Amino acid sequence: MAGVDGWLHAVDLDSGAQVGHGPDTPVVTASIFKVPLLVELARQADAGVLDWAEQVTVTDADRVFGPTGVSAFLDDATLSLRDLALLMIALSDNTAADLLLARVGADRVNAMLDGFGFTGTRVVSGAAGLFQSTVEDVGRAWPVVDPEEVARLRVLDPAQTNRSTPRECTGLLELIWTDRAASPERSAWMRTVLGRQVWPHRLASGFPYDDVGVSGKTGTLPTVRNEIGVVEYPDGGRYAVAVFTRAHSTAYNQPRADAVIGTAARMAVDHLRG
Amino acid sequence: MDLVRHLRYFVVVAEELHFGNAAIRLGMAQPPLSQRIKRLETELGTRLFDRSARQVRLTEAGRLLLGEAREIVARVDRLKELARTGEGTVLKVGVPPDLAAAVIAELVAAFREDNPEVRLAPVELWTAEQVAALADGTIDAGLVRHPITAAGLGFGPALVQVPGVLLAEQDPLARFREVHLADLAGRDLLMPPEDGLLAETLAECRRRGFVPAQLHHGVGLGLVLAGAAVSFGAPAQVPGLAWRPLLGSPLAWRVSTAWRAETPMIAQFAAAAVRTLKGRAGMSDEGSAPARRVSGRPGFLS
Repeated sequence: MAGVDGWLHAVDLDSGAQVGHGPDTPVVTASIFKVPLLVELARQADAGVLDWAEQVTVTDADRVFGPTGVSAFLDDATLSLRDLALLMIALSDNTAADLLLARVGADRVNAMLDGFGFTGTRVVSGAAGLFQSTVEDVGRAWPVVDPEEVARLRVLDPAQTNRSTPRECTGLLELIWTDRAASPERSAWMRTVLGRQVWPHRLASGFPYDDVGVSGKTGTLPTVRNEIGVVEYPDGGRYAVAVFTRAHSTAYNQPRADAVIGTAARMAVDHLRG
Repeated sequence: MDLVRHLRYFVVVAEELHFGNAAIRLGMAQPPLSQRIKRLETELGTRLFDRSARQVRLTEAGRLLLGEAREIVARVDRLKELARTGEGTVLKVGVPPDLAAAVIAELVAAFREDNPEVRLAPVELWTAEQVAALADGTIDAGLVRHPITAAGLGFGPALVQVPGVLLAEQDPLARFREVHLADLAGRDLLMPPEDGLLAETLAECRRRGFVPAQLHHGVGLGLVLAGAAVSFGAPAQVPGLAWRPLLGSPLAWRVSTAWRAETPMIAQFAAAAVRTLKGRAGMSDEGSAPARRVSGRPGFLS
């Protein structure tokens, strides 16, 4: 009904019980690459490699295509690295992400992923690189709705772009939720930042309850709709869920395709709680 | 002589005023009946009947003694009845009509274990009816639902029942292993006629996103079976119905024993009730309810 193919992995953070549907399938992460970037930023702050309170001035030259945060600003703005990280996660601010990626280094993010054994997860490009690739493929970054053009996009091929698997994504979230991704203090900060994400239409739509918490990060490209996150129940149950979808239609607005991410996540969590 | 038995003959003859009819009623022949009445007259030293011509009439003394004789016979009958049933030590208690039959049976058995000589007589009454019955002495103790407003009553410790939801098997929500109150939005709700409990439950439902389209009072599950309403309650295995826990355990129904004047026997009933309700009805001690958490999304003024 939703007109999508999907891959999913969900794990109970306390019992370790898990459920999946193609959980080891390589998938395009789209903006979900911002989560491993967040983790490496926190780790470098822990190690003293950088000062997360350092002020950065964002100018027009830094600006990357995007509808939110400093990407949409008209004037220069000065803010700290950790506040840029907040915009990167809460609003999926592309400019903030690319500034942080330049500071942290994609190779360092991948080394961190290797260290945790997440070898199926790679960050090969920032947001600007994804747009550049799209422009090279079809002559423009947006909009791309012609099915033949969509079929040519390298950013939709896991082998050629930022990628992961549903299981590795829940694994990364589990590290964040158990204070193992970075220091307890900065792991808690990452949880807070992921909890500030504004989008209610995907993962959170499956849990429309005041007393259920949903933290997460979305990822979107033509036909790609993803979200990974942690669902926290009033009785203390915590579940990391990763849902990746590809829509059959190339239309940008498909509320049902967004909502099915929440529905699938709810079914997975319901299964884990049973 | 057996004075009571003779008094019984006297009463019957006095009612019939005909020895033949009285003998039939007593299942005996007339001559021995006449003889026994004569023996009674000798024993009491006075004539009880005036047997003139064709009529039998009570003498003045007979009329005087009849009331007393009746009283004695009735009291002896009652004495025997009491001895037979253990009456005289009956404890009448009110129980909610929707309490499971097995729980009531268990409660009676648990009480009898400690008090074999006392008979526990349960009466099915809703809380408001129990309050009135306690006040006028119709029942000695009760099992009531809270919150309750009733001056002058004493209460045992509150026990908490965490109800789930009963749905028709074909309800789409039955697919899930647990149901959130908000999922029930738009459905009709069937509730037992318990005013305090009802108000408290409806307030919690509203806070959590469930405003029943219509409220039905009762305990018959026909409406639920028909898919026309949902109901809350203890886990139940009813053909055609699905029971599911409520996500986050949002409802806590409180039950306690109640009395007007506590006696040792009522205290024992209260103890047996607590034991039974914890053991058989899945209730637990009232603890501090976990604080309700409200997640940050979708955010304030966003």
